[in-house]
Amino acid sequence: MTIPASGEQTTPARRHRIDADPQSVERGLVSLVLTIVELLRQLMERQALRRVDQGTLTDEQIEKIGWTLMSLEQKMAELREHFGLEPEDLNLDLGPLGPLLPYE
Amino acid sequence: MEPHGVWIYAIAERVAIPPLRQLTGVGGGPVRTVAAAGLTAVAEDVELAEFGEDALRRNLEDLGWLEATARAHHHVIDAVAQQGPLMPMRLATVYSGDEVIAATLAERTADFRSALARISGRKEWGVKAYAARQPQPDGAPERTTGPAGSSAGAGAAYLRRRRDELTSQKNTRRETLASAEVIHAELSRHAAETRVHPPQAPQLTGSKAPMILNAAYLLEDEWGEDFAAVVSALEGQHPGVKLELTGPWPPYSFAGTGEREESGGLTA
Amino acid sequence: MDSRPEVEPALVPTAVIRHRPPPEPATHTERPAIHTERIALVDLLDRVLAGGVVVSGEVTLSIADVDLVTVSLRALVTSVSTLARSGADPEVLGR
Repeated sequence: MTIPASGEQTTPARRHRIDADPQSVERGLVSLVLTIVELLRQLMERQALRRVDQGTLTDEQIEKIGWTLMSLEQKMAELREHFGLEPEDLNLDLGPLGPLLPYE
Repeated sequence: MEPHGVWIYAIAERVAIPPLRQLTGVGGGPVRTVAAAGLTAVAEDVELAEFGEDALRRNLEDLGWLEATARAHHHVIDAVAQQGPLMPMRLATVYSGDEVIAATLAERTADFRSALARISGRKEWGVKAYAARQPQPDGAPERTTGPAGSSAGAGAAYLRRRRDELTSQKNTRRETLASAEVIHAELSRHAAETRVHPPQAPQLTGSKAPMILNAAYLLEDEWGEDFAAVVSALEGQHPGVKLELTGPWPPYSFAGTGEREESGGLTA
Repeated sequence: MDSRPEVEPALVPTAVIRHRPPPEPATHTERPAIHTERIALVDLLDRVLAGGVVVSGEVTLSIADVDLVTVSLRALVTSVSTLARSGADPEVLGR
């Protein structure tokens, strides 16, 4: 190539592949999977709150749903920590559609 | 001989040749000009093996290549911009030969001239706004919410806490966006023209704070300092927002001839 | 070799970057005359790429240089881009 180098060395064509180092394989795939799980968790949470607002749930149901969502949130936090992922890592940029999950 | 094309950097009225001799182009070659109809295109011969349509599609996805090429492209444009008004081209404007370039210059002389007139004596400045990270509240607010009233359990308490968090996030987001609109409106008052770009992905900026405005402002040449002062003042007036100013730029965002406009609109 | 005149730009230059760390943080500057090296790449790409930069959610798993699984959102992004930009040349976007 005759283009002027920017200082960063050219890495081989497979740079975008995740090599089979177990850690990085896990991280790449796991962050994708956890992003989907996080999306579902947020959707369920919002739906639950909507149902609570509508008054269509009994106290017992509210307690059970809340408890389940709370456990799910805890589990997510544990998994994230286990794989060394920050909350911001669980997101996907859909280009013109913006990010998959809202920031914050 | 390798098949080659001609990479276009910019279009101007007159371009002095000697300063171009010190420049190295995106393809590593010399920078030259193609003149027709009173206009001049700044150009370079490039090989299609690297800059043809298929090659570009591959190379544009290679961040290393993209960075080197973008910077080389900008370096030439920036140098020629010192000479006078010019219309920068976006990356990957490649023609098959000089004849086509000359024909295009002749065909669209009026478009190019009016674009040059619009940017003459002006420079582009960029402002990006980020939502300043709010400190997270310590504990859940005590008030109960929802028609169910007081439910004693941890599950219900969790839901109440989440509702409050979501509501407060929504309010903060709304306020921040309102700030961004006010800021953009105020900055636009100082500019001949503005363009709004999509916000930059956080994976690219390295900033965790959401970007709520990414805009370009076309200002008269000597107004840069005053504009910087306006930006500082606005940042002080909007504590939920952090502003970044870049510039001056050659008028990349304003070089369209009106055929394809950047869509405006602030982020949601 | 195709001899028809290529219209500007030759492609809709949308770069798709897969899971790379950010090139460099955005720099704050209030003074004019920035040296090229200090310009943040993201700011430059905003201006020189018509399509902008998309960080795609693509992950390819490979063992011994053999690609086994590719999970890609790129097709989605590309086709949404096609819809969003009227006048974009479909063949240019490769779909």
